[in-house]
Amino acid sequence: MRSPLRTPLAWFNLTYERRRLLTAIAGVAFAVLLMFMFRGFENALYDSQVQLLKLLNGEVVIVNRIKTTMFVPEQFARQRLYQAQAFDGVEDAYALYTTTANWKNPETKQVRPLRVLAFNPAKPVLPLPGIMENRAALELPWTALVDEKSRAEVGPTEAGIESELAEQQITLVGTYSLGTDFASANGNLVMSDQNFLRYFSNLGPELDSRSLRTVDIGLLRLAPGTDVDRLVAALQRRLPNDVLVLSKDDFVQKELDYWRNNTNIGFVFSLLTTMSFVVGIILVYQILYTDVADHWAEYATLKAMGYTNLYLLWVVIQQALLLGVMGFVPGYLIALGLYQMTANATGLLMQMTLFRGINILLATIVMCLISGAIAVRRVQATDPAEVFG
Amino acid sequence: MTDTEPGAGMNKNSSVAPIPSANGTATAVAEPVAVRIRDLNFFFGQGDLRKQVLYDINLDLPYGQIVIMTGPSGSGKTTLLTLIGALRTVREGSLSVLDQEIVGLGRSQLVDVRRNIGFIFQAHNLFDSLTASKNVEMAIELTEDWQEKRERAVEMLTQLGLSDRVDYKPKSLSGGQKQRVAIARALVNQPPLLLADEPTAALDKKSGRDVVTLMQKLAKEEGRTILMVTHDNRILDVADRIITMVDGRLETDENLAQFVSSHDPKSLDRRMFVM
Repeated sequence: MRSPLRTPLAWFNLTYERRRLLTAIAGVAFAVLLMFMFRGFENALYDSQVQLLKLLNGEVVIVNRIKTTMFVPEQFARQRLYQAQAFDGVEDAYALYTTTANWKNPETKQVRPLRVLAFNPAKPVLPLPGIMENRAALELPWTALVDEKSRAEVGPTEAGIESELAEQQITLVGTYSLGTDFASANGNLVMSDQNFLRYFSNLGPELDSRSLRTVDIGLLRLAPGTDVDRLVAALQRRLPNDVLVLSKDDFVQKELDYWRNNTNIGFVFSLLTTMSFVVGIILVYQILYTDVADHWAEYATLKAMGYTNLYLLWVVIQQALLLGVMGFVPGYLIALGLYQMTANATGLLMQMTLFRGINILLATIVMCLISGAIAVRRVQATDPAEVFG
Repeated sequence: MTDTEPGAGMNKNSSVAPIPSANGTATAVAEPVAVRIRDLNFFFGQGDLRKQVLYDINLDLPYGQIVIMTGPSGSGKTTLLTLIGALRTVREGSLSVLDQEIVGLGRSQLVDVRRNIGFIFQAHNLFDSLTASKNVEMAIELTEDWQEKRERAVEMLTQLGLSDRVDYKPKSLSGGQKQRVAIARALVNQPPLLLADEPTAALDKKSGRDVVTLMQKLAKEEGRTILMVTHDNRILDVADRIITMVDGRLETDENLAQFVSSHDPKSLDRRMFVM
């Protein structure tokens, strides 16, 4: 019952000069916003790479052993899927065929590469709402679904659009929502495996024609209660060595690790985040230091009256924490808006997760505590004897 | 007053009898005094830069006495004041404040001693962000009296004639009013010892007079000891005793009448100082 009755000196000092307070809050909010944006971009780049993989329907994934990342266009024999289907616990096996093909924007007539995802529409390989609804339409020849989150260069994304894919006519029969990543910079088309054959089995002498005999990604649906790790181990042991068998989580992780370890994304954005953090420390320190310097006589008087150093440290730390929280809220809200804008503009997956929010909140608090810890040294050094004379 | 005669003589204890403390704090010592200083030396700096600023100070301040300390600047008045206020660590001699020997005390122990001392500074040093009442309450909070702090603060401010300014922030108060709030802050815990450094320097004649009259009243009615450093001749008349410091030494220690006669070669009437 003590604390609510104590005069909240930190609060009064902080809020006394409105203009200064607003400047301070704006400074902290800016640092918070920068941290959010850099972390957001970093994770968007990572998350975007695996958003398709996460949505694939299957507990176990089979890929060609040398397909180290989604970028590598290597397939494996479809027999491996049939072989895998013979194992206990495997209920079904799906084949996903992917390739990159030129798409002509129906309005500008400009050609852009799109990634094509093909599978048997009778099976729930990629169970997104737009895809499940339009399965019947996908059975029609020369049709596909287009991702609404494709980049603007793809042109209008709606059912009924007619254009060209790999220099052959195509009709869009519906849309779904997925998003882009590095391997599909402009967007994704979804079509049936039969249409995949129609478009890509006869590409001409210079190009690798595709058939349904080779699969890009194999998915295994398991019976409930199957021990995934044991099955994965058994499959890897018994299937020929040309395939890699992974649980879906490991597969997603492997893709993430590829991007983490083989690109500078992590380093660049960690550096940028750290720099924002340091800028925040300097800003908050400047604010706290000015307050302490402006009120040194008052603080010294408090010391003379019998207040301990500890109390004064607490006042400064409180101010730091208050600034942190007051700056975090606007920073968070603006970041939310900018995440939305970035997602709309680029199709990248900008997610404001609870984890990230708490993470940055903690970073903000630590940032302010560090500033406070530096600024309190000024209070500690305040000699009450100096107030006299 | 710069013309102090070296032979004016040390009148160690003034004729004013010690008035027992209202709080009855001092009982252990045979003759209770608020401040007892024996053979105090004080130095600033260390090593080659070490410079002595106080030499062999001996002084007793009984309860209920108003003592004015004067002397040229640089004579060590303020240093002595800060030592008595337990604001600096002392190493040589003996300095007993409110029956607590403070020579050799650590910083945190000095803080405890300070809680029984009221400080009034030349500047008011009030927090601009806090109302008059809140500024005073900050002092009451040191006593952990959470229930009645507001009433006590208002009561104290009322005694100082600020009942209608309780919830004003310093910016809306005049210089005299601010200094009175600062005095309220210093007095609200009823410290047996009050130390003031030029409390009237920033005030006009009337405000300054009001402030010292008030301090005088408190000393007499409640047995407080007040030690005041001042150059302000207009308020010398409230003193029971005037001590003069020159070059770090206690030069003279007189009552008002002696001070007037020794400081006025033309033997002017003492009313000159009363005004």
